[in-house]
Formats: sequence, C-alpha cells, structure tokens
Amino acid sequence: MGGVKRSIIKMATFTGSMAPVLVLWLAMSLSGTWAVDKGNFKTCDQSAFCKRQRALKPGDSPYRALLETMELTNTRLTLQLINDNNKVRLLLELYRLQGNMTRVKINELKPLKPRFEVPDVLITEPSTEPLSLLSQDENGVVLSLGTESQRVIISARPFRLDIMEGPEVLMSLNSRGLLAFEHLRMRKDTFSYKVTSTVASVWDNIKRLFSSQAEPEGEKKEEADPANQAEKEEEEKVDGMWEETFKSHSDSKPNGPSAISLDFSLPGVEHVYGIPEHADTLRLKTTDNGDPYRLYNLDVFQYELYNPMALYGAVPVMLAHKAQRTTGIFWLNAAETWVDISSNTAGKTVFGKMLDYVQGSSETPQTDVRWISESGIIDVFIMLGPTPKDVFSQYASLTGTQSFPPLAAVGYHQCRWNYNDQEDVASVDAGFDEHDIPYDYIWLDIEHTDGKRYFTWDSHKFASPKEMLQALEDKKRKMVAIVDPHIKVDSNYKIHNEIRNKGFYIKNKDGGDYEGWCWPGSAGYPDFTRPDMRAWWASMFAYDQYEGTAENLYTWNDMNEPSVFNGPEVTMHKDAVHGAWEHRDVHNLYGLYVQMATAEGQIQRSGGVERPFVLTRAFFAGSQRYGAVWTGDNAAEWDHLKVSIPMCLSLGLVGISFCGADVGGFFKSPSTELLVRWYQTGAYQPFFRAHAHLDTPRREPWLFGPENTALIRDVVRQRYTLLPYWYQQFYHAYRTGEPIMRPLWVEYPQDPATFALDDEFLIGKDLLVHPVTEEGARGVTAYLPGKDQVWFDVHTFQKHNGAQSLYIPVTMSSIPVFQRGGSIIPRKMRVRRSSSCMTHDPYTLYVALNLQRTAEGELYIDDGHTFNYEKKEFIHRRLSFAKNMLSSVNLATDAEFSTGSWIERIVILGASKPSKVTLKTADGQESQLEFDFDASMSVLTLRKPGVNAGLDWNVMLQ
Amino acid sequence: MHFHMIIVAVFWFGFVDSRKIRGISSSYKRFFRERKSFLCIDGSKIIPFEQVNDDYCDCEDGSDEPGTSACPQGRFYCTNLGFRPHYIPSSRVNDGICDCCDASDEYNSHAHCQNACWNLGQRERAYVEGQMRTLDEGLQLKQQLIEEGVLLWREKQAQLRELQQVAEDLQTKLEERRSRKQEADRLKEQTPRPPEAGDGRLFRGQNSTVTGTFKLLDSNKDGSITVDEVQAKVALVHDEERVLSEDEAVALLGGDHQMDLTTFQHTLWDILTNGGRVKIKDTHGAPGVGEDPPLKVADREWEATNLKKVEEAYDTVNMEISDLREKLAIDYGPDWEFLFLNSQCYKLKVYERWGMWEGPPKNQYGRMVYENGEPCWQGGSRSTTVTLTCGTETALRSVKEPSKCQYIMDFQTPVACQPVLKQRGIHSEL
Repeated sequence: MGGVKRSIIKMATFTGSMAPVLVLWLAMSLSGTWAVDKGNFKTCDQSAFCKRQRALKPGDSPYRALLETMELTNTRLTLQLINDNNKVRLLLELYRLQGNMTRVKINELKPLKPRFEVPDVLITEPSTEPLSLLSQDENGVVLSLGTESQRVIISARPFRLDIMEGPEVLMSLNSRGLLAFEHLRMRKDTFSYKVTSTVASVWDNIKRLFSSQAEPEGEKKEEADPANQAEKEEEEKVDGMWEETFKSHSDSKPNGPSAISLDFSLPGVEHVYGIPEHADTLRLKTTDNGDPYRLYNLDVFQYELYNPMALYGAVPVMLAHKAQRTTGIFWLNAAETWVDISSNTAGKTVFGKMLDYVQGSSETPQTDVRWISESGIIDVFIMLGPTPKDVFSQYASLTGTQSFPPLAAVGYHQCRWNYNDQEDVASVDAGFDEHDIPYDYIWLDIEHTDGKRYFTWDSHKFASPKEMLQALEDKKRKMVAIVDPHIKVDSNYKIHNEIRNKGFYIKNKDGGDYEGWCWPGSAGYPDFTRPDMRAWWASMFAYDQYEGTAENLYTWNDMNEPSVFNGPEVTMHKDAVHGAWEHRDVHNLYGLYVQMATAEGQIQRSGGVERPFVLTRAFFAGSQRYGAVWTGDNAAEWDHLKVSIPMCLSLGLVGISFCGADVGGFFKSPSTELLVRWYQTGAYQPFFRAHAHLDTPRREPWLFGPENTALIRDVVRQRYTLLPYWYQQFYHAYRTGEPIMRPLWVEYPQDPATFALDDEFLIGKDLLVHPVTEEGARGVTAYLPGKDQVWFDVHTFQKHNGAQSLYIPVTMSSIPVFQRGGSIIPRKMRVRRSSSCMTHDPYTLYVALNLQRTAEGELYIDDGHTFNYEKKEFIHRRLSFAKNMLSSVNLATDAEFSTGSWIERIVILGASKPSKVTLKTADGQESQLEFDFDASMSVLTLRKPGVNAGLDWNVMLQ
Repeated sequence: MHFHMIIVAVFWFGFVDSRKIRGISSSYKRFFRERKSFLCIDGSKIIPFEQVNDDYCDCEDGSDEPGTSACPQGRFYCTNLGFRPHYIPSSRVNDGICDCCDASDEYNSHAHCQNACWNLGQRERAYVEGQMRTLDEGLQLKQQLIEEGVLLWREKQAQLRELQQVAEDLQTKLEERRSRKQEADRLKEQTPRPPEAGDGRLFRGQNSTVTGTFKLLDSNKDGSITVDEVQAKVALVHDEERVLSEDEAVALLGGDHQMDLTTFQHTLWDILTNGGRVKIKDTHGAPGVGEDPPLKVADREWEATNLKKVEEAYDTVNMEISDLREKLAIDYGPDWEFLFLNSQCYKLKVYERWGMWEGPPKNQYGRMVYENGEPCWQGGSRSTTVTLTCGTETALRSVKEPSKCQYIMDFQTPVACQPVLKQRGIHSEL
C-alpha cells in the first residue's frame, strides 16, 4: 500500500484546480532519489521535548527519595520523590509481579490534571507477589524480590534504583541521573496570564492553587517562589513548551510541557534488541552520534534503511542480552518516544577489546539506555528473565500472545494494488491453477471500493462480489479486502453519516470533527480509543451491514498510523482531541485499536465461531493479539530484501510473530532474480504475501518465463509442505509468546557468535534458514550453531556439524535450510490448490537424529479455522525417537479431536539400516513396515505406516 | 436369496476393480496389463502390483498412482464421457473440488460432484456450432475483404507507379531548370551589373515588334485578341504550365473580352514587356519572345524561384513515394486481408503506426504489439497488445489496463478467421 506519493496521484485526479500545483510538487520530488524525504519527518532537534530532554546530560539527579513517605503493603511500595530544583513531588510505585518482573510507576504526586495512563494494552492487571523490607536507613531501602536472592535497592540522595541478584547488578534506574518529569503547569507567558496577573485577587487564587499542587502541607511556602521563577526562566529560554511549529504545522500544546524521561543501565550487556519498528539491524546501535531511535507511528514514504527513523508501528520493548542472562524493559507509553542507547564498549575495535583483556583493564561492558516520551507517565515493566524464553513468557503475561490464525492465513497470499475487477480476480485465480501454484488468499486494495468509501464495492468493477467470493470458495480459497480507518466526508455515505451523527469522529482542537486528506479526499478519523466506537465499527462487519461479503472475506487495515496526507509528518495533529485526551497521548495506540475493532467485527459476524484474520500496518505493544503485521511500503531492492529479516526478527522478539514483508518489494519493479530470491525468503517468513505498487508492471509468478515460474512454484510448494510445522509454531507462539521466526541467540544464548546474526534465522527451534539475499550470489556462508549439534540440509539430507560457519554454494534454485539434529518435523507432501484442500492429507515425518540418536517433535491438528481449539478440540502429540523407537504419545489427554489424516511416510535422517521395522498400534496389533535405505546419505524411509495421526503408535527399528 | 445377490454383487465389483485401473487413459492400459508386478513407466523400479494405486507413491515418475493423490508429479485421467477427456494433476484428486466433469476425481471426498459432462458437452457443441457459423460467415467476409484488399493493393501499386512516373518527369525538368539556372548565374557573372540601357534596348527591340506580337497573339487574324487567344498564348511567369483562367484573361484584356492593336500597344504590350507577371508562352517561332536572352537576364531571380519550385515538387512526390512504399511494405497478412484496417480508428487510436505481429508461430496474425507509446507518468512508455479473434464484424471488444499504461485490447474481425482452425474433437468413445 501506498504512502505519500500515492496520495499525490489521487489528489491530482480528484481536484482539477489543484492539479498544476501538485504536478509541480511531484516533479520536484521525482528529481531526487528514491529515498525518503527526511525533511518531512522530525529529528530529535526538531521535536521540542526531545531536544529539551536530550539537552540534559548525565550527572547528579535533582531527584531525592523522601524515605519518610514510604509505604509498604504486602505487594506494593510507594514513596515520594522530590525534585530539589523545583520542589515538585512525584509518586513512585513499585510492584513485584508474578513471573520475575518488577513494575515501576512514576507519576506526579498531584498533577494539575490527570496524566494519561495507557489502557487496553495489558491483558489484565498483572498479578503481584509479596515484597519485603530487608533493611532501611537514611540513605536508602533494600527490598527483597522473593526467593531468588533478588533485591531492589532504593537510594535516596540522589534517587536511584538498583535491581540485584546476589552480588550482581541486573539493572539500574536513574543511575545516570536522567530521570525527568515535566510537571503540568499553568501557562505564564500568555496574554491571559498577563491580564490575570494584574488582577491581584485572581492571581492569588492561582498561586494558592499552584502552591497546593506543588507543596504538600508542612513545606515551607517561600520555596515555591524561586521555583516558579526558575520555571519561568526555563520557559523563556526553551522554545516549544507551549507551542511548536514544524514545517507549516502548528501544535498548540494547550497543556504545555509534559515530557518524561528515565535512564536504565545494563551492566555486562553489549547487545540490545527490539523497540521496533525500524528499518535497521537486529542488534540495536548506539545513538551517541546521531538521533535516538524514534517510536512514533508514521506513514513514511519510501523509507530509508539502516537508520533510527520512526516507521509505521511502535513497540516500546527492549531486550538486553548477555551470555548469562536476558532481560527486558517494557516502557508502557503511547506518546511519541525516543530511545537513546550508549555503550562503553561501542566504538572499541576487536583489537581494543583484546588489549583490554590482555592488560587486565577490564572495564565491565555496559549499555545505557534512556527513554524519553512526550506525555503520560513512567510505567515500566522490568522483565528479569533470566533466559530469553522467560522474557518472552514474562512479556506475554502482560500483553498476551500471538493470536492463533486460521491455517489458511499461514499459506501464500497474492496481492497487488490493484486487482482491477472481478474478471481480473478470476483470471489471476485461474493462473494459479494453470501453473499449479497453490495460494490461499487473493487481496483487493483500495481501488475495489466505491470512491474509497470503505465497506463498499465499485459497482462496475465488482458488480457481484458475492459471486466472486463464491467462485473462490468453490476452490477453497479466500479473499482480503482493504478497510482503512479514514472515512470519506460525504453526506451520501452511510458510514460517514453514522459516525458523524454518533459523534464518533476525533475532534480538532477547536471542537469540530477533525478532517484530513487521505485517499478519498477529505476524510474524518473515527475515534477508535472509544469502546462504543469500536463496538459500532465491529458491528459494521456483519454480513447484513457490509454488503457483498461472505465468510471467506477477510480484512486489511492500512493507513492506521493514522496517515493524514496534509498533517504534520503525514499524521494527525497532536492537539486533536480524543475525549479527555489529546492525540499526543494516544498516538501510537491508534493502529492497535483499529485492528482490535476490526478483528472483533470478524469474530462477531460468525457468532464467535470463526477465527479472524486482519493485517495491520500500524501497531503497538499488544497488537499481536489481533492478527498479522507487515513491514509496510518497502521497495524492490536487494537491501530491502535483506532488511526484511532483522525487521521481522525484531518484531518477533517483542511478541509480534505474524510478520512479513511485501514479497518482490512494493515500490519499483524487481529484477527476475530479486523476485525469485524474495519468494524464497518470504516462503520461510511467517506472513507470506506478494504485493506490488499500482505503477509497476504485473508480476504474478508465471510472468517471467517457465524457468522462473518453476522456481517460484517450487518454493511456494515448499511452504505448503511445511504448513503442519508452521501451524504448530503458531500454536506454540499462541501458547507461549515465543517468536516463530527467531534470532539464533534465542536458542543459543551462550554463543556470542550468534548475538548479532541477522542474515539467517530459525523457524521455531528446528529449522535454520539462511536466505540468499545477494544479487548474483554463488554461495552463502551460514553459521550453524551448537557444539555437539548436527544439522541436516533439508534438500539433500547432507549432515553438517554445529558451531561452524559453512560455505554453501548456491544456484537460483537454492534456499539453504537446515533441520536440527534431534528434531522431528511433520510435513504434508501432497501440495494442493490451497491449504484447505490439504486438510485430510496424510503426514510425512522427518526425523533428524542427533549425535545421541534421539529426536523429538510435536504434531498439532485442529479444524484450522474455528475457536474450537479453545474448547479443547484438537490433537497435540509428542513424537519422540529414542533407543531405535519412534513413538507418538498424547500431549493433551484432556483434548479431543478426530482427523482423517494418517502417517504416510517416516523419513529418518542420520539413520543406520535396520533389518526389520515393526509398527505397533494402540490396539496392540503389530505389522512389518517396508523400508528403503539410502546408504550414501544415511536416510531411512519407512513405507506407509498408515496409522491415524491422532492415535498412539510406535515404530521399532531392529 | 438376498445373501446370494450380495455375494454376486461383491464378486462382480471385485472383478471390475481388478480389471480397471483408476485414472489412466486407454492408451496407458498396456503398462498395467501384467498383474503380478508393475514396472514404473520410467523403468526405474519394479513394485508389487498391489502397490499400484494404493495411495503411496513408489515410482519417482508417479506412474504407480494414476488414480490417487499420492505422487507429486502424477496426473489423473478424466474420461469425461460425453465431453472431452483430459488430465488433471494428481493433487486435484479427492481435494474436495470437482475437476473432472464425470466426477471421477472425487471418489473419496466430501465433495458432492454431479456428472456434468453431458451438459458441458451439449453446451460445448452449441458453442462450437456457433463458432463454426461465425467462422463460415467470417470467412466469407474475409474473402470479400481479401478481394477488396487486393484491389486496394493494386490501386496503391498503380498509384505508386504513377507517382514514380511523375517523379521521373520532374527529375528531367529539374535537370533542365538547373542547367538554365546555371546559365543564368553564368550570365550574371559575366555582366555583374546589367546596364540600364538593356531595358532601352529591349524596348526598342520589342517596339518594332508590337505588331508582330499582336499578330502572334491574334491566332485567328481577325484584328482583335480574344480571351481564348490570351489563354492559349499568355502564361504566368511563375507557372508556365498553368492555363490562365477566364477572369485572369479578361483582366489582361483590360476588363473586356477583346482588344485591338491600339489598345494593345498601350496596355497589354506594356505588361508583357516590363517583365511583370505574364509573358508569351515559350512556343517555337514566337518572334522576339521566349528565347530572347536579354529577357532571361532580367528574369534571373525567377529562374531561381522556378528551380526551387520544381525541387519542392520533386521532394514532395518522392516523399509520397516513400510513404506509399513504406505502407506497402507493411505485413498486411498473406492476402493483404488486413489492408482495409489501415488508417482506421477503432475508438481508441493508440498509435498512428502499425504494430508488430507477435502471435505464436501457429497463428502469427493473432496478436499485435505496439510499443514505445506516449510516455507514462512514473517512467516507461505506453504499450498495447491487441488480440485478434474471429468474428463477423470488425470491432474493438474490450480494452483493459492490467498494469499501469499497459493495455490489452480484444479486437474482433473476420480477417482473423482461420479456415484451418480445427475443433478439438468432443469425446464420444469409451
């Protein structure tokens, strides 16, 4: 889907009078390179609060803990902090949460008005665990964090918080003194202030009010005046506290400055990850010599790679990893946020590090992180691991896990802006059959609507959508149609009228309905932060409301940052109003709410039976609960193919597993080689969708000659054979919150060689993929992790040892993929037209033996599309191979489901030749299995066990 | 009694089952004739015959499982009695979707497939009949168009020949004019400043022949010059070839229809001798005019203009010739049947020019491609692929834009009808 440029085309077509101006603008933008126009987006220096906060340098914190205010209940500690410069008091709350987490909340003790606290992201109020006081003196407090010799030390002067385990400091807060809290205040430099100040009585009132805010009883009153004075001076010195202008856009800031900031020190840590979305490496870089990483959901046109600029989504979660421990920081704030990272070892060369080591001048490596947000409160969850999987589980306990998608959504998606009409859809659909390439979903972009009025169809191009959907249903295929959150302002449009009449639109600062430009021209933006608005939106997906729809039609939410073509930074004005809150407070949440309401609509239309499938471009912490995410409007360039790996890995680390990039690249036209390589990479990423810009030539898989059609067919078919494994990974992600596509260090946390790898990845723990992402590549060097581990090439079955970098020669058909020795992977080898056609097909089990000649795996089966798995209607079995016996045992004895699928074939990699193979079924029947042994590759194939996949059985090799 | 019937039935079905191999055509039966073992058709492996169609793929070429979905490379033969038989990939066997119209591919699935072959066959036959009618009609029309094309072709050829003749004539004239201009230039060089007296000499010389000139013009010797006579003897200096119009002749006669010697001496004689716009035609034996060198000297510049005129005419004719040749060089089909389309506009005139025939070898004239059209926003240029199909009228049926600025047109015309078009036979055996 498109960004700004798209808007220009469209706008030019619908407003004749504007066209000349726009064409000129275009000509200017075209004359440059393809990259983003950075000038459209703020740097930290251009974002007033970031500039103010970043100007604070590490040093002594002005904050002091007032230990005498401490209150400790069983599960909660509170105490007040005071800023010695302005005497404003803050309230610190500290909780010990179940699952080895600590929550730290800091708010103004008595704010002038409430400050925004993010709702709807935590799945529930987190369960607490007891805290106990270990010791206390005038310098600080030591609290016990439960059993694991974990303590929190709160130092009073200056305020500082250290989390320890044994003698080791895990994390320190405000150790660099960068805690900052811009308290809410009355404006003093305005006309009204000046007028009021001449009226003594009124001023006295305000002063009294102000004093009572800032000072609790008993404080000396005269302290307020110098503080006030200092504040006034501060405001005079620093611009942008009460008003800010970027390009031609003005932010009225009626509430004045409200930024917050806090630093975290991570001793021993040299690798930090997460805080998507950025088009950058997996391992986050230090930001000392540039801008901080920015989190602010934006529709960035033709984004640039390898920089910290904000993109479409934001998840304020960072993971810190060292060989012994993984920890995480979840900064629950939905306002514009910047994250600074510095490190005392960054910039040191390998030689320098060695020198340190040799000379014994081993300064402990440390990474320092600083979070800055524009408004709201400090609400931070410190996830203490200690393993990567513990952190995933901790984060999942807060924000939930990946929604379990319908099986079909794990298949291949064919998209283009745009499939023009029903005939076009029918012919692309037929093309897949003709070329024997499976697919599950065909997608319709914005042109399918009646003039960009979502929930409608263009009556000429899509005259009978139900017939079209039925034709797809006849082939067990599905469709996705786009529904964006900007609503055309048109009094003949039902959706608009209802939203306006119900008062559901976001308001502008003056109280009227906010209007901005987007695809339809002038558009309103529904206030998705309102539960009643979301409920109404959800009801619009009912079959009798959304005409021409059927069960096999699903939804795509684009432009939900929200994208406002004529807004500041192509998004909404921060002073727009959502009820009691400003857009400033809720900005990064908007996209999450859109997807939430849409997914809810899909669930409701089926009476709560069917699983939804909704793709979103904008997201926030918790978005994993509502569907899939893609990396937005990328380009047909090799670097964009490469960066799709770290981008999806970063998302997976913070809970969003269902991630993919537009295969082929959205902007521009890929070379055939790039297209094929992208299919090969995309087939091994969770969300597998090809997409293309309106201006690009067609690129359906069969348009590049029979040879390339065959290459693409082959890799799409590989995806389909692996669907049982993928589906099982999705189930696992839904249960545990572990990423599906994961960096190697997650499975090999002690192996430093894996820490920065982002040109290869694991799917689950058993498949390692090193896609070819270089033009004209003759080979790739893959790192196979794990001492005493073996890996089997899934195409040749060749065995390789772990803990080595392996050079693999490649041709155009190569996709280096390895199965871990010790794993069992189920596949379905009968690739059909769509995943639904394969429901009853038999399984082939790939058993890859490790050096101990054992292996383990799982098999998960359910109906593939309903919520009945929540009612325990599924099969979940453990497959294990040990002592020459492969057996299938029930992992979920309380669950029940029946399948027609059976075990067709068992392929054992790294096997030796048996003399006899005996199958034993649940009823005690024994039979001999035929087998075939390939001595050159040590591959044993057992012919047709034929046993039902849901039953107990074992196979003995003798 | 019932019992017996069941036994018979079971026996009979068993018998049929063992004879019939699912999913093969009759031509493949020979591979399955031997009942003890089966040799994979690629010869790679021998398997027990029970393993044929046992829902497990043993042969790499998929030949042991013609009737199941077990082999990834396999194919299933739909007999489709009443319609036409065809192969489907094995992956479509028992996938819940009816692919064979005889429903034979879904023998073990939840799909409720009806045998639709007869209906399909009916429809196909009706369609084919319709197509045949269209074809017949189309071919007749095509014959007409071919005939017209041939005529048009000949006409164009004749036109070409004519133009070539004109060009030759012009070339002769051109050479003549050139030499005359050279002559004039030479004279100019010899007498760089023609003396004023020259005029006097001319007048004197001419003076004596006022009567002679009058007599020359007065063809019928009746003592007065008429319109006819002026038209016959007087010509424009610029365009000798053109015959003066009646009005022009009347104007030369001072607005009258005739003129006597006295009036002539004071009017037309002056006009003729001062070298203005008209002169006596170059007729041999015209005394005092035509070959008069002094007059040529005076009209040097006119000579140059004349030469230019002839050159221009020559160029124009040559351009017309090359244009015509180019048009005639276009491939209008073996019988010039597409010639009638030349310069026709069917609603959407994409290019002035004729596209490239790009049909497949079997039907070279089935597709035409136009490239390098007008530039398209965001780079590239427009292109159009026109597909020509047989129909009874010539018309543009549809225009599509599958990708931006890439058009596909469906164009129907009788000349696309191919008599060799052979209908795929509708299956009726087995």
